[in-house]
Amino acid sequence: MKVKLWGTRGSIPSPGPETIRYGGNTSCVGVTLSDGSLLALDAGTGIRSLGLALGDEPTRLHILLTHLHLDHIQGLVFFAPAFRPQTEIVIWGPASPEASLRDRIARYVSAPLSPVEVRELPCDVSFRHAPDSEWEIGPARIRAASVSHRGPTLGYRIDDGDSSLTYIPDHEPGLGADLERLEEDWISGFALAHETSMLIHDGQYTDAEYPDHVGWGHSPLRDSLAFARRTGAERTVLFHHDPMHSDEFLDRFGAEAKQRWAALGGDPATIELARERAEYELPARAPSPVATA
Amino acid sequence: MSFVTQRPLELILARNLMSALSTPAFLVDEGGVLVFYNEAAGMMLGKRFEELGTVGADEWGALFGPFDEHGAPIPYDNLPLVSAVRDGRPAHAEYVIHSTDGASHEVEVSAFPILTAHGSQGGIAIFWPTKMNGNGAGPA
Repeated sequence: MKVKLWGTRGSIPSPGPETIRYGGNTSCVGVTLSDGSLLALDAGTGIRSLGLALGDEPTRLHILLTHLHLDHIQGLVFFAPAFRPQTEIVIWGPASPEASLRDRIARYVSAPLSPVEVRELPCDVSFRHAPDSEWEIGPARIRAASVSHRGPTLGYRIDDGDSSLTYIPDHEPGLGADLERLEEDWISGFALAHETSMLIHDGQYTDAEYPDHVGWGHSPLRDSLAFARRTGAERTVLFHHDPMHSDEFLDRFGAEAKQRWAALGGDPATIELARERAEYELPARAPSPVATA
Repeated sequence: MSFVTQRPLELILARNLMSALSTPAFLVDEGGVLVFYNEAAGMMLGKRFEELGTVGADEWGALFGPFDEHGAPIPYDNLPLVSAVRDGRPAHAEYVIHSTDGASHEVEVSAFPILTAHGSQGGIAIFWPTKMNGNGAGPA
């Protein structure tokens, strides 16, 4: 399984010289399974670059949306494969009692917010509510579960061979709870992340910033570290950077994360901040994923 | 591959909210198992949840009675929380409970089901104390 980060920013695209190293595009992760099947985790503005990199291939791909906040779907109408008739795209996302996934996405992919309507997309696109039970895409087993965020929101786990990737970019598991003391089955997202090879997790706030953002659906570093430690993730990538955080700020934040991870007994080499275009390979049989870029 | 079980998010969020309330509150899962009660409820019962742990559906009613105004035990099936989970409807009642120290508490109980896109996930009961008798130190 190969993983590439195409957008690591949260909330709103934040391009500019001060965000060039960690990136300004919003959430999107490309996953290539062991048989070559392609998944895109979320469709923030990073998916535009993913689409350009794909060229004319593949003809079938799956987009797994965690939720429908704009920073996770904004790139959909700029995803080049969606404008090719030979492409089949399956979009998975959370169910809602209010409206179907298609209808909720169409609120963005429609006038006046979009120049095209869903029905006008040349590709063969279908929309599916992520099921409660595990399902298969190619050689991978996929699981989705509701996680603590604002509105219907999913986290995903992808198991391919002996490797697994857990993606929970928007997550506030410590809301109203002490993650260090809580029983593990009462921790939001625990089952998805338990002993996963790689955890991509919300790392939006510093501990000092968090009190002004309680209930916004994102984690302070304290809770991101506690979640990673409690779940036993082999490697953790802190993701969904706050748009106010410059590269210099994130350098310091990343150093603090490593220091505090070590203080918790972790290996500093197994935690890092997400950088746009970073690539990882999760071998079929290995204790830890290897960073390749 | 992970085989860890996970509580439904709705129960997790309910527990987190109840933990912050000063009103006695009880949480059961879709099978009627008592999976949590908060500190205020623990004070009323005389035993913290951490001391007791989860309690099966056929047992937790006996923890605190309950009794009607004539002192007669109220059948399990008639408890508001049971009917809320069973029927998917809110329920309300008044009754008397006994805490472990022998005190009796008159309470009003409001119970409602936790209904989600995936069906019923359990229910919540909140106890509103009205009177207390005996030697307990709970809320009056």
